[in-house]
Amino acid sequence: MIGALLYLRLHSLVNLVVHRVRRLRQPKYLVGAAVAAAYFYLVLLRRPGAVPPGAAAVPGMGGDPRIAITAICTVLCLLGLLRIAYAWISPPEKPGLRFSEAEIAFLFPAPVTRKALIHYRLASSQVAILLTAVLMAFIFNRFGYLGGHRALRAIGWWVILSTYDLHLNGTNLMLGSLRERSRHFLLWRLGGVAAIVLYVAAVLRAATGPVEALLAGLGGAQSGSERVMDQIAASPTLHWLSLPFRIVFGPYAASGPGEFAVAMVPALLLLAVHYHWVSSTEARFEEGSISLAERRAAIRAAAQRGEIPGMGEAKPRARPGPFPLASLGPPELAFLWKNLISVRSSLLNRRVLMFVLVVMAAMFMGPLVSLRTESIGVDAFMKIIGALCAMFAAYTILVGPQLARQDLRNDLPNADILKTYPIEGWRLALGELLAPTAILTAALWVELLGCAAAVDGRTLTAGVRATAVVCLALAAPLVCLLQLIVPNWIMVLMPGWYQASRSRAGGIEVFGQRLMFGVIQLFFALAVLVPAAGAAWLIIFSSQWLIGAGPAIVLAAVVVLPVLAGEAAFGLWWLGERFENFDLSSESR
Amino acid sequence: MIEVEALTKRYGSFTAVRGLSFSVRPGEVLGLVGPNGAGKTTTLRCMAGIIPPSEGRVRIAGHDLASEPVAAKRSLAFFPDEPRLFEYLTVRQHLNFVARIYGVADYEALATPLLEELELAEKSDVLPGELSRGMKQKLVIACGLLHSPRVMFFDEPLTGLDPLGIRRMKDSIVRRARSGAAIVLSSHLLHLLEEVCTNVLILKKGDKVADGTLEQVVAKFSNGEENVGLEEIFIRATGGSES
Repeated sequence: MIGALLYLRLHSLVNLVVHRVRRLRQPKYLVGAAVAAAYFYLVLLRRPGAVPPGAAAVPGMGGDPRIAITAICTVLCLLGLLRIAYAWISPPEKPGLRFSEAEIAFLFPAPVTRKALIHYRLASSQVAILLTAVLMAFIFNRFGYLGGHRALRAIGWWVILSTYDLHLNGTNLMLGSLRERSRHFLLWRLGGVAAIVLYVAAVLRAATGPVEALLAGLGGAQSGSERVMDQIAASPTLHWLSLPFRIVFGPYAASGPGEFAVAMVPALLLLAVHYHWVSSTEARFEEGSISLAERRAAIRAAAQRGEIPGMGEAKPRARPGPFPLASLGPPELAFLWKNLISVRSSLLNRRVLMFVLVVMAAMFMGPLVSLRTESIGVDAFMKIIGALCAMFAAYTILVGPQLARQDLRNDLPNADILKTYPIEGWRLALGELLAPTAILTAALWVELLGCAAAVDGRTLTAGVRATAVVCLALAAPLVCLLQLIVPNWIMVLMPGWYQASRSRAGGIEVFGQRLMFGVIQLFFALAVLVPAAGAAWLIIFSSQWLIGAGPAIVLAAVVVLPVLAGEAAFGLWWLGERFENFDLSSESR
Repeated sequence: MIEVEALTKRYGSFTAVRGLSFSVRPGEVLGLVGPNGAGKTTTLRCMAGIIPPSEGRVRIAGHDLASEPVAAKRSLAFFPDEPRLFEYLTVRQHLNFVARIYGVADYEALATPLLEELELAEKSDVLPGELSRGMKQKLVIACGLLHSPRVMFFDEPLTGLDPLGIRRMKDSIVRRARSGAAIVLSSHLLHLLEEVCTNVLILKKGDKVADGTLEQVVAKFSNGEENVGLEEIFIRATGGSES
């Protein structure tokens, strides 16, 4: 039976590769693949000024590579421990193994033993783990600083990732089994969490010495990092506490083939123990697997709609409209109303808001603490805030249109229905773009206020600042609209390139296509905004001597804003025309 | 009400529909039939203004679809075989949105009985994701009927409906035709054609094979035999399959 399952996996993989290779006959995929290949070569494979693969670590690039490897392993151990602790603190209601919906439909009702299904699942996960291992080896050995042979490093990564995958699955299944069978499930969980906490406390206590050595070594003859390594090696408590992790990370951390071969023996033994543990589980995983598959399908569908995978809700919730929509009036507002509902449902959930707040708090915490401890003055603090706001504004203009996609891009699956509506193309395009324009404009206005507040009062008077803010605030919606027209243009021009259909996107060539779209977006921003900004600057510079700074800014706005508005109007008209003649079905032929 | 002249639709070198001409008058229900790949859906999508024809012209309620698309589309409704809905809008919000698009004054007075007729009244505040396929299909129908269209295009209208829903859909089509609407429906269900349609148009590989009232089409392919069923007529007219 396992042969049939492996046949399924192998042929699915082969067919996927053949399909991807065949579609390279289409120029859009060939160009995308070439761009992605060039990117990977330049970013991951080429090692400027580095030693060839297999050579020893590069000296003088930040010290002993053992320290870097130890740091990488320590961070990974912490992350792994955190994830396992989370599994004990909040175990899944129904533990499941990762099957696709098609696998569930075909395999669960088939005469296949549970053990065979588990073997199949574990074997299936190896494809992703192997690819990840190779990628990690390339990323972490990017500059050759860590030394060692890439192939051995990749195998080391494979051991780490496979053991982690098995351990996490085993923990979830064991907890699921305990939930079903034990009346003392809560006690089991508390015991597990307590064990992890005690372990971490013991490690921290044992690590106090090496940390002190690090601090004492700062500025000393022997570097602090070398002292830490010496202390770790000399501490018996740390030696035993870290043993399981050292076994798992041993092959990765090995400095040569001999050390690698020795490290592989206990690592493979531990892996085998984990495999036996998971494959012999009696826990019921079927229901959990179905829930997991449904959730993954929902997240994938959300990703295809352009939403942030895993950040939005798997199931949208019904929400009231942002404003009452009368049945008579401009139809563009109906699209704004509809798309704002989708924004509120998909993005503004608690988790995303928390994430944004945490990031904002982290970014502003440093300047605030410095201000409180009087290590910097108020002016410097405001400059930091202004710089942050300017940076966010640049991101809003350049990256925002890729994130705020509540426009034609989201509605493309409903293109047939949209095209039966009695509305001119440009009005439909305008309506569709209103919601993301409003979102990005609101963000830009806040960032603009932050920048204005940061400008030194001695540099610009309050009146000039207020005039500049008002003029820039007027330009903001036009700039956002223009930037949003670009990805929508690309989509209606090349829907196949844009992965606009309901089919699943993927592959290196699609990655390359997205890279190209990013470059096009940047190029367009430069082509539209730089001349406008240059013209405005020229007008202000040449006229402020005659009429003063404030009126010069107004004059520049009077000249530049109609130009931007004209460009936006042309863009909308063209987008609407193209959409009216757009036929998605021809793309699939 | 619906006039199609020399309609041709090509995808690259492939011709999906070739030189199709016919008309549907108020009160008529035209059944569009043919094997898979005959060009039925392409024809419907061209008539609904979703895709532009490569050649030929379509007039809806006296308006040319190419030169007066907004006026033409104001009179029509298209019901696709697969319900296409906005997943973040509730049932009632769908109707509110459509009412604004078509400028339906006092839409709530129309929406409430429509929802009750289609058994959607209790589901008015739920999202499409919580509806069964049949319910989604009913919501599409409610949205399409809200602006009282005079021209309707149905692509496989009975797909996903329960027996009562099928009965109601048939009655609704007949009733709207009697009140003066011109209707075109595409379906593989020949009994639907017998019960609902006044006219039939048979397509094969993009070409018109037969066109006329049911009696005329039956007479054309029965070869003088009596009691020849529509299924047999269809097989004789099309060769039975797409090949």
